[in-house]
Amino acid sequence: MEPTIVDPADRPMGRRRFIRVLLGFSLFSTLAMIVTPIAGFLVPPKAVGAGPGGRVLAATTTDLPAGSGKVVAMGSSPVIVVNTDAGVKAYSAVCTHLGCIVLYDSTSRQIVCPCHDGHFSPASGAVTSGPPPQPLPPITVAVEKDQIFLVSG
Amino acid sequence: MATPQATGTGGSRISDWFEERLRARELFGALLHVRIPIQARTYYLGGITLFLFGIQVVTGTLLVLYYKPTPETAFDSVKYITSVVEFGWLIRSVHHWAANLMIICLVLHLVRIFIQGAYKYPRELTWIVGVGLLAATIGFGFTGYLLPWDQRAFWATVVGTEIAGGVPVIGESLLQLLRGGADVTEATLGRFFGMHVLVLPLTIGALLVVHLTIVHQLGLANPTRPEPRPGTAAAAGDAGANEQLKPFFPDYVLDEIIAWAAMLALLVVLASVLPAGLEEKANPLETPTHVKPEWYFLSAYQLLKLVPRDLGIMAPIVAIGALALLPFLDRSREVRPRRRILALLIGLVAAVVTVGLSTWGYYS
Repeated sequence: MEPTIVDPADRPMGRRRFIRVLLGFSLFSTLAMIVTPIAGFLVPPKAVGAGPGGRVLAATTTDLPAGSGKVVAMGSSPVIVVNTDAGVKAYSAVCTHLGCIVLYDSTSRQIVCPCHDGHFSPASGAVTSGPPPQPLPPITVAVEKDQIFLVSG
Repeated sequence: MATPQATGTGGSRISDWFEERLRARELFGALLHVRIPIQARTYYLGGITLFLFGIQVVTGTLLVLYYKPTPETAFDSVKYITSVVEFGWLIRSVHHWAANLMIICLVLHLVRIFIQGAYKYPRELTWIVGVGLLAATIGFGFTGYLLPWDQRAFWATVVGTEIAGGVPVIGESLLQLLRGGADVTEATLGRFFGMHVLVLPLTIGALLVVHLTIVHQLGLANPTRPEPRPGTAAAAGDAGANEQLKPFFPDYVLDEIIAWAAMLALLVVLASVLPAGLEEKANPLETPTHVKPEWYFLSAYQLLKLVPRDLGIMAPIVAIGALALLPFLDRSREVRPRRRILALLIGLVAAVVTVGLSTWGYYS
């Protein structure tokens, strides 16, 4: 019986295709090897902030009398502390509309965002007027004697 | 593989659309052709140096995203890059190793050109621009060395700038100019940072464009015979016309890419096995016991210990100047090494002295 001669081009995977697959794989691996560290490098590492339960002294009742408010830093986040009729309240000072920092307006007794005139209630953080879509997220406050602490968590 | 697409008479609809608006096919066709005599042996060193420069641009751009160039923050930011940022150690170590390999490949490239006499007519300008590239690369090494602001960096810079201050006549002004004042302070760090990330990259970029343009226009030198001059018998004869050439694309380009891939692998291995270190934070009040410069400055460093100060400072400057003027000092037309025994001997002596001084400096 004569051995049949198979044309390499007719095989399911010819030499040419085999080399091409290998080459493609090498190029892909090389590219992945270059892109992975660069992408990893570009992602900023997480900043180490105060862990849950950390306390920050925000103010004293002497420098924050009833009917006043101020913005303080808790780590890198701004927090607005307001001494209301219902006690001391604190909220994230970042406006839920477009990220400006809100302030306390003692005349209107409202938390106001200076950028687009959003108004929030000092008692609950709820939106009372203007474009903000969400209320200000509350922050836990602990008052000990005359000291006002913010509790992260 | 000369399909109609490649020669520019046709192509896909997309490439035609761009061609009608850019008229670039002819330009790219010309760019992909460099005259390479079949006898040329480049060992791909120039291309590898170019590749390493590319690595420096990429890793340097990444490092500058986190680096802070003030004495209070520089050291901590480098530490932060190395230990906190994802793959920071790799990017920094690759930058460190590519810098060293770039100087090695650049010097080997220069040695290859010297041995093959490829700096002779008509390539004198390519050589001079090449020496400029060497000087700029050494400048990168010198300015980059200070940036981590550790003890080694600080004191190497104090000594290095002190040497610049010893240059006759202009020394004092040069020292003030380099340091931005009398001492190595935050002014120096600011200047070195500016030089390293702005002045030198722009300089080297411009020099590279000139260097590569000339290489493209003249093609590679034939190491077996001098370039025929117009009007001579050799030019009138068929020596030039019948010269056997090797295709630049894809033959030479493929070899070059393989060399680049090998170099990338070497870089990753070196960066992983021998990562770039960081010493104590710089302390201007305490000089460490053994202050030594980077290896490529060791020969100049050792020379300074052996000869009078002025001689030790001027010798390397004169040597670089003489190197730049080499095509005008060595005026023979001969390129074959075995017929240029004297030139090669002088080169060998210079190399032995440099390597000898460096080794001595390293072990002293």
